[in-house]
Amino acid sequence: MSVAPPEESKRKYDLGFASWVYENVEGGDKLAMCMQCGVCSGSCPIGTEMDHGPRKLFMMIRAGMKEAVLASNTMWNCTACFNCVVRCPREVPVAYILKGLGSAAVDLGYAKKEDTVRFSKAFWWSARTYGRTDERLVTAKYYFSGGLVAGMKKGLENSKIALGMIKAKRMHLGASHKIKDRKGLQAILAKAAEIEAREKEG
Amino acid sequence: MANEGPKSQTILVVGGGISGVTAAVEAAEVGYEVVLLERGPVIGGRVAQLNRYFPKLCHPACGLEINFQRIRKNRKLKLLTMASVVGVEGRKGDYRVTVKTTPRYVNANCTACGACAEATEMEVPDPFNFGLSKVKAAYLPHEHAYPMRYVVAPEAIGTPEAEKIKAACSYGAVDLEEKEQTFDLTAGAIVWATGWSPYDPAKIDSYNYVHSPDIVTNMEMERLANHAGPTGGKIVRPSNGEAAKHVALIQCAGSRDHNHLPYCSRICCLGSLKHAAYLREQYEDAEVDIYYIDIRAHDKLEAFYQKVAADPQVRFIKSKPGSIVVGEDGRPTVCGEDTITREIYKNPYDLVVLATGMQPNAAGDYHPPMSLEADDYGFVVPALEGDDGIIPAGVAAAPHDVSLSVQSATAAALKAIQAVGGRAGSGQS
Repeated sequence: MSVAPPEESKRKYDLGFASWVYENVEGGDKLAMCMQCGVCSGSCPIGTEMDHGPRKLFMMIRAGMKEAVLASNTMWNCTACFNCVVRCPREVPVAYILKGLGSAAVDLGYAKKEDTVRFSKAFWWSARTYGRTDERLVTAKYYFSGGLVAGMKKGLENSKIALGMIKAKRMHLGASHKIKDRKGLQAILAKAAEIEAREKEG
Repeated sequence: MANEGPKSQTILVVGGGISGVTAAVEAAEVGYEVVLLERGPVIGGRVAQLNRYFPKLCHPACGLEINFQRIRKNRKLKLLTMASVVGVEGRKGDYRVTVKTTPRYVNANCTACGACAEATEMEVPDPFNFGLSKVKAAYLPHEHAYPMRYVVAPEAIGTPEAEKIKAACSYGAVDLEEKEQTFDLTAGAIVWATGWSPYDPAKIDSYNYVHSPDIVTNMEMERLANHAGPTGGKIVRPSNGEAAKHVALIQCAGSRDHNHLPYCSRICCLGSLKHAAYLREQYEDAEVDIYYIDIRAHDKLEAFYQKVAADPQVRFIKSKPGSIVVGEDGRPTVCGEDTITREIYKNPYDLVVLATGMQPNAAGDYHPPMSLEADDYGFVVPALEGDDGIIPAGVAAAPHDVSLSVQSATAAALKAIQAVGGRAGSGQS
């Protein structure tokens, strides 16, 4: 993974960015412990797919490269295998911080076109609505979230897989499966949102 | 006066490594009665296992030999091997110390003729070479052993081999009936110099030490490079005996790591630079890669770092490797991210050396049998108030290299002298 210097447009430095991350991102306060040894990036099974590994991303945070950090694909490629968390010699919760950075990127509108974000949104919609994942609806929602044409193209590309899944009874065509107590689930989620909002304020 | 002074002016030194030997010799040479206890069969400790010293690359055997002479010539100094402290009572000036001796099965009649070793076929892993080779069940711990006396391995006791060993000795030196013993002695001050053990590399899962014979530790490298070591001084791949010409030295293997030893052992950087020098001295075409977080060559040692770094065949890679895996061809492969070029690398080597750190024995298998203050990492710290008659020295006190250990031991000897009253020969109990 050889990386060219950041493009001119990304060279926007926000000197308060590091402290913002320390205070607002889950696990961000532990970022100060990072000594740039490289174990996280070196332990990452898909580090080569990331435009910056975690180590470099953390350095960019310290440097205040807000735009480049939030627009990075690093957090979206994290599979949460926790190699980095287990091996970090300074107990930095790397995977948690990446997840937190991902949320921040979504909240601040940086990741609209990101595949992982679109898929996550579709997945979460199904989980929230039915208490289950409906492969058919999640896939459809995800495919079409990139636009009508792109969605149809992707659907056709994968139609064979879909048929196979239906045959193997891994995907069904009737009404979505639901959990019994959907109201209960929604109450739990509402409470969680309330707690999260309260914690963000206080 | 008789009631006020210390009851005993004897200085007890626990641990016969370079620190204990130094403290004992220094105190004895200014006239104090000194008892030096070593739990193993010989003194010299970790230093005796080193091939060379940094930064001058001179031989540890030389300095040890001088110290052995000083011990031999000093009638004030009594050395007890196979002896460890199991209990301490009393206070400064009047300690009663319980000592346990384990059997060596060989008494002082031994002339080190070696007939016992020839008589037996039984072999045991050689502790001096970290088990990289085997020795006969009756053995001399190493060629510079002091005391120069054989040991019978406990594994042989009770087998017919033991009888063969006994029968071969024409000096009546083999005593198979020897038993564990305990006795008490009195002392006015105690120097605690129990040293260190290498951190267990098997605990660093992702470095796969247990899965490849070609992944060794820095202390094993010292033995590989030593003429009396398992390979006669040729640095080879333990798996197949081929020359190890492409070698990775991994710094901070389990050091500065909250999952392992959180502190810096201070010696490993220089140790690895020294290993690079061994390799470059042995093979003209050797290529050495040193993986590091930062090179900590403190004060005067910087010059040695500069010297090694000037060699174009020694490469410095700023990276703590994420893992070491065994490649398809059986070669250990170091994986990680180069933090300067930001490249993800996967480099195969003939031999990988893990620079593991020092773990104080006081926090391991040689727990002081009295309340001593220790820091978070198990290094014994001097008492700030209360009983200051027990003085830590060497690596028992902090991660020291040899020269700092000697300084710390000399300081400890002086503190011990002050603790027992300051004037040799006065107020003797």
